[in-house]
Amino acid sequence: MTSDPLARLHLTGVTKSYGPIQVLHGVSLRIAPGEVHGLLGENGAGKSTLLNVLCGVVTHDGGVIEVDGAPVQITRPKDAAAAGIAMIHQELQQVPELTVAQNIFLGASLRRGALFVDHREQERAARRILAALDPDIDVTAPIRDLRVAQRQIVEIAKALRSKARVIAMDEPTSSLTPKEFERLVEVIRVLTAQGVSVIYVSHKMDEVYRLCQNATILRDGRFVTRVAIPETPLPRVIEHMVGRELAHAHHRSFATDRVMMEVRDLTRGRAVQGADLTLHKGEVLGIAGLVGSGRTELLRLIAGVDAPDRGSVTIEGTAVSGANPRARIRAGLGLVPEERKRDGIIRHRPVTANIGLPAMDKFTRAGLIRKGLLHKRSQALMREVNLRPFDVTRPIGSFSGGNQQKAIIGRWLAAGTRIYLFDEPTRGIDVGAKAEIYDLIEKLASEGCGILVVSSELPEVIRLSDRVLVMCEGRISGSLSADQISEANIARHAIPAG
Amino acid sequence: MSKALTSLPLISRIRFRDAGTLVGLILIAIVFSFLSPSFLTLPNLVNILQQSSINACIALGMTLVIISGGIDLSVGPVAALSATLGAAMMVAGVPVPLAVLGAIATGVACGFFNGALIAWGGLQPFIVTLGGLSLYRALALIYTGGTPIFGLPGEFRAIANGTLLGLPGPVIAVGVLAFVAWVILTKTPLGEYLMAVGGNPEAARVAGVPVTLTKLSAYMISGGLASIASLILIGRLGAAEPTLGNLWELDAIAASAIGGASLMGGRGSIVGTLIGCVILGALRNGLTLLNVQAFYQLLATGIIIIVAMLIDRATSGK
Repeated sequence: MTSDPLARLHLTGVTKSYGPIQVLHGVSLRIAPGEVHGLLGENGAGKSTLLNVLCGVVTHDGGVIEVDGAPVQITRPKDAAAAGIAMIHQELQQVPELTVAQNIFLGASLRRGALFVDHREQERAARRILAALDPDIDVTAPIRDLRVAQRQIVEIAKALRSKARVIAMDEPTSSLTPKEFERLVEVIRVLTAQGVSVIYVSHKMDEVYRLCQNATILRDGRFVTRVAIPETPLPRVIEHMVGRELAHAHHRSFATDRVMMEVRDLTRGRAVQGADLTLHKGEVLGIAGLVGSGRTELLRLIAGVDAPDRGSVTIEGTAVSGANPRARIRAGLGLVPEERKRDGIIRHRPVTANIGLPAMDKFTRAGLIRKGLLHKRSQALMREVNLRPFDVTRPIGSFSGGNQQKAIIGRWLAAGTRIYLFDEPTRGIDVGAKAEIYDLIEKLASEGCGILVVSSELPEVIRLSDRVLVMCEGRISGSLSADQISEANIARHAIPAG
Repeated sequence: MSKALTSLPLISRIRFRDAGTLVGLILIAIVFSFLSPSFLTLPNLVNILQQSSINACIALGMTLVIISGGIDLSVGPVAALSATLGAAMMVAGVPVPLAVLGAIATGVACGFFNGALIAWGGLQPFIVTLGGLSLYRALALIYTGGTPIFGLPGEFRAIANGTLLGLPGPVIAVGVLAFVAWVILTKTPLGEYLMAVGGNPEAARVAGVPVTLTKLSAYMISGGLASIASLILIGRLGAAEPTLGNLWELDAIAASAIGGASLMGGRGSIVGTLIGCVILGALRNGLTLLNVQAFYQLLATGIIIIVAMLIDRATSGK
């Protein structure tokens, strides 16, 4: 093994198996000091496992990890911290009730004497670290009062406090606005200027091209290649990730004139005010708008998850009322929620149980579940959507985000749903699975289903929609027909007037 | 969850957990069979089952409640209330089947009351059933004036004291109930709903699971089973004391937990719970055969519960 003095972090031949299943097959990674390095691959490619190895959550079986040319043993999170490796998780690991300063010094509090925490000194030190990152953050404010973007910066400050030399960021922008992303770009510049290396994991290729100098591509737990960015063109990178070229698909419309669902004057507090919309058979209706404009809230009202103050939902001519998801499901409606972990999956239950849940009556005879039928139907559905790994008896929580999403969609396919409500259908989902989900949405439309798609990604809205409604501050502020759909038109309606 | 185990299918993992509980039981049996020659004899094994049957009856309902993400601390007092009401009916000359139904209805009604406050009222199961614990006990004491009800009819006592195919009536009754509970949990939509509601209530609601009814059912079943357990007890004793069922909830929770039920909800097994009950029963029986003082029996019970949880953690849980 030759040690590389130029590398801040150097991994060679890292392997990891869970029981009989090998998930990392000799992965290598080399990052220079001050470099931003992309770690790319589809869900299930091994990115998360590799990050978990690096931060000591998972112990690798073989291979060598070197930091600044010296081999390090990482078997516990403590070892990773000692080696100067920190991780910014997608779901931030903070204590919401504690202050910014307390969170930054969590587990390493500054003491006055042996017993007492020196809050004043902690705040002073926290302020010093944050000055370079985001001086607007109040170190005495509780974390729960901060926006997600600020919490993230606090987490980065915590990494700097622990003298991290490598900071791994897992999907750092999944809940950031474009403006907040710019702030993050600035913060990453500050980090790299101090010689800190950044591992950047993201499915958003424009960010990778904006930030990274190099990227390592993984597929099926194997190292595929290391590429220079931006010299390597995007199609080439994607080809490495998915192992095939993605057909560039154009929008196809299956919309008809037949009304499937009418929503009138739907209102809940300030979140959704007087929303009207009509969904036709075979139509994909996009709902665009800024985060917080009321899109998710509107879908939840339509799905009967939350109760409206007033307004009506009529499905195929029949009015449905109240906050009763079960009644909506019977009327043929199904919600694919944005927060999969919170609102979508029953983690410990197998894929089959998660699929059968809304339509148990379809799989029940004489009061007993027909497990064989449920299994067969689940397998057929999951084969169609290409579930990976293809095992419907596994707990759904053990699948990657994209595959969990496929199972949640499969749940509605099994229930015979006619109206699909997709909330951020490809959030946290890799490029390959994304295309599969687009194809699936198109197929549903072609079969005469009505589809609402809420998305923050404009290319996604434009790619999928026959019509687009734009929301702004709880109201539907614009309606764009097929020939009016464009990023500029959406943006015009999405931004509050005045 | 150790990573090796997450990769196994859930079904085999649950069976794996049950097998672990069974190994625990076998180990305890082996130890006692060496220490006492009378432990591993047929009459004594039947005796263990008989001694475990009341706790098993309670624990079946407790397991369903725990899987739904709740807890039922009120089972002992619910048992006492329904036993005293049922006994009073019998003594007053109400036909035995009717009185039995009356007692069970009392238990189910108590469960409905608990469940309604939890499912509709949105109150915490621990607090609601803690309140119920005092409430139902008080009702039983007030109703009886604190004195036991004697003179239960012989035909009623015959059920609890009779045998069929060499097995005591209570063992057969609880065996049948356990089979029903197992079918409910593993073969019916209600079972799937219980797992879903306990595993992730919000996701269950979005998926159209009738969350309120599911929770309500769990507490009603638990209440009904508590009253059946009390009928077994008063049938054997011949009298209904308003103080019966003291601390029953703790044995039932212990058996569920030993059997693999997660107090966080969403996971548990009827087979595991039954084995858990027999483990507790065998332990007490074996220590009694060895003339170990009751204080030390309590000590052993505590140790078994904690050891079971430690093994659970080491083998399957993070």
